Amino acid sequence: MTLSDKIDSLMMQVEKPVRYVGGEFGSIMKKPEDVSVRYAFLFPDTYEVGMSHLGMKILYHTINKREDAWCERVFSPWVDMEQKMRENDIPLFTLESRTPVREFDLLGITLQYEMSYTNILSALDLAGLPLRAADREEGPFVVCGGPCAYNPEPLAPFVDFFVLGDGEVSTHQYIDVYKAWKASGRPRGDFLKMIVGIQGVYVPSFYDVSYNDDGTIRSVVPKPGTGAPALVMKALVNDLTAADYPERLIVPYGEVVHNRIMLEIFRGCTRGCRFCQAGMIYRPVRERSMERLLELAERLVNATGYDEISLMSLSSGDYSCLPDLAREMVQRFYEKRVAISLPSQRIDNFLADTLKETQKVKKTGLTLAPEAGTQRLRDVINKGVTEEDLMRSVRDAFEQGWSSVKLYFMLGLPTETDEDAMGIVDLAEKVRAVYFSVPKTQRAPGFRVTVSASVFVPKPFTPFQWCGQLGAEDVIRRQQMIRQAISRLKGVDFKYHAPDLSFLEATFALGDRRMGDVLERAYRLGCRFDGWNDQFRFDLWLKAFEETGVDPDFYATRAKALDERLPWDHLDAGVSKEFLLCEWAKAQRGELTHDCRKGCVGCGVKRYEGACV
Amino acid sequence: MRIIYEFGKKGRLRFISHLDLQRFMMRALRRTDLPVAYSHGFNPHPQMSFASALAMGWSSDAELMDIRLTESVDPAHALEQMRAALPPEMPVHRCRLVDDKHPALMARLEMADYRVELAGPDAAKIIAGIDGYMAEDTVMAVRKTKSGEKEVNIRPLTISLKAEGNALLMRLMLTPEDTLKPDLLLGVLAQRANAADYESAIFRTALLARDDRGGIVGLMEL
Repeated sequence: MTLSDKIDSLMMQVEKPVRYVGGEFGSIMKKPEDVSVRYAFLFPDTYEVGMSHLGMKILYHTINKREDAWCERVFSPWVDMEQKMRENDIPLFTLESRTPVREFDLLGITLQYEMSYTNILSALDLAGLPLRAADREEGPFVVCGGPCAYNPEPLAPFVDFFVLGDGEVSTHQYIDVYKAWKASGRPRGDFLKMIVGIQGVYVPSFYDVSYNDDGTIRSVVPKPGTGAPALVMKALVNDLTAADYPERLIVPYGEVVHNRIMLEIFRGCTRGCRFCQAGMIYRPVRERSMERLLELAERLVNATGYDEISLMSLSSGDYSCLPDLAREMVQRFYEKRVAISLPSQRIDNFLADTLKETQKVKKTGLTLAPEAGTQRLRDVINKGVTEEDLMRSVRDAFEQGWSSVKLYFMLGLPTETDEDAMGIVDLAEKVRAVYFSVPKTQRAPGFRVTVSASVFVPKPFTPFQWCGQLGAEDVIRRQQMIRQAISRLKGVDFKYHAPDLSFLEATFALGDRRMGDVLERAYRLGCRFDGWNDQFRFDLWLKAFEETGVDPDFYATRAKALDERLPWDHLDAGVSKEFLLCEWAKAQRGELTHDCRKGCVGCGVKRYEGACV
Repeated sequence: MRIIYEFGKKGRLRFISHLDLQRFMMRALRRTDLPVAYSHGFNPHPQMSFASALAMGWSSDAELMDIRLTESVDPAHALEQMRAALPPEMPVHRCRLVDDKHPALMARLEMADYRVELAGPDAAKIIAGIDGYMAEDTVMAVRKTKSGEKEVNIRPLTISLKAEGNALLMRLMLTPEDTLKPDLLLGVLAQRANAADYESAIFRTALLARDDRGGIVGLMEL
């Protein structure tokens, strides 16, 4: 039986076989003998989640544009499939050609979320590769990128190299070097030496880490003779209009989370919310030109048959000519019945009217993210939104026929008090009052406010990177305070989760290399798909911490001194440490920092050539 | 005006469910320049239907899809457009333009041909038992339906059953009232032959109807 037949023989025994079928319209097939580099791209979560990810689409496209390389996709098999694969000796395989991953040249893994890390170990294991990079004498080089690569240390033992920043150019740079290395016949270790000069490339095995007696990091220094830089700068693509962007897409058979055309209108964000890692690490703002976006939209609609285009970015309302773009898109695609959608926040009325005609989404939900319950705390996090703004948005929405509103908050933000937490209830109450102040004839029936509060996780390269996460006891106490108060408000629901998952997320977000042992232990104990409620086993994780002698609170809840060496201090994400320190000081004083389109705030990204000109 | 396409669903695409296939075809149609008629209402969608749903895991070279058009098209062009919009494992064999009065495929579908490839040590036992089965008048079997389980006499629903090498060729009833699925028949044959160690792969090879004179013809030829 061939591998393909073996895979087929399992399809009727697993949930959602469409996850493993492959062969979708738009997937790229090449002849193995025609290419010299085979690249397996792993999204370490399910097919439905991974196929909704824009970064994978961009890299898949840009690698496959090369005649000398073939990029194929891999997703984490769900637990039922993993078990069947192990029982039947089926190695991890790519969807396109169903080739075992261990036969590839490079295995690229995107790090979108810390809670997918056990899936990475599971994938390496299923591929038949030793988990630790030091133990791998053959098989693909493992490279990781994506937002979580900015603190790569917990994964350092398992990964050959990381790439920080934009992948459109850096991916080609290391593929080119790989080709040269392969042709040269030099030993395996030489490849890593050959790529350390590429901007964005970080080879963790080239650094020595030493620790102080109290467990904090003393130093991280490049090993002599490796050529590794003392400070790794991120890769940066300055011109997004000229950068590669997919002109065709894979159209999945099954339903996936975002089954539509995703058009990235710009990268980066100028607002400077202090809790937001994306807002810091994707700087500076780079817009794609309107002409290019319209051209891409046209091609993608024809190539995919999708009937919806989503205008994507961190804050789409900030695109400099959004009304023009939206109007033009709506006009061009009206006949083809293609809906244009963008996040409903911060849309002025005129724009809302333009989009209303084609938007397929029923007028039921408006989502707003005040993030914090009081103005004081919103100022601390630099969320430049006032209560007035919020009430105006909500009033507009109710007057235009919306009847339900979702409000997103975070609990445990730095400096948060019980009063701040109760401010969430206060806001919900005011939203309710606004609804009932709209005359009955004008408002839609079915009032509902859903208040969601997640637990704040401090992230590297944000002004809150020194903060300890709020402990579980306080989180639970504040959740209960809010829950009790909200239960008295008719039509208002409160959604919250146990703090365990956010706590674990913080240990990885803020952790160092010693977290690698915990990760491997948890994987061996059976942890998988930790971001999925039905799979998450906090008890096993606690056991893993205990067995490895690592204290999770050291990373998650401990506040770090401002002069402590942080695990990611040898990496540079664009924003400077001076800027982050200054922002942290301002946060504690409740001072705002303005949107940097209104004038440079000195975040440090100008240190990069060609950035912010 | 309507256009009927005959297409296959093979290889790994046999694991695509019918619901997923429907959604996929809607997007595929949007990749063509065919003047597809859309339904009215809040969420317009192409007016299309399939002659019969194919069970997950079965392959076919004889699926029929019926699409309403707003105007006539050149069939050769329509064929080329659909071929470009579908992946290789969904080959488009032919198409035919019919007018709006042409009977609905689903309403005229009466039976289907299947080829069931057998492998494994017990395959021969199953094949040896088919004459015995055909000689019976009554063979009761439990048919699973949406409303539950029902015991039916499947013998009259078996129009013909032959062997060809290691394959069974089945012609089975396929109407809303009387349907016999090839996997059910195979299960019954295996049970009668006391066969447990075998593998099977099911292919649908034709969808059939009766013409005005009562003769059996391909649904596409009607």
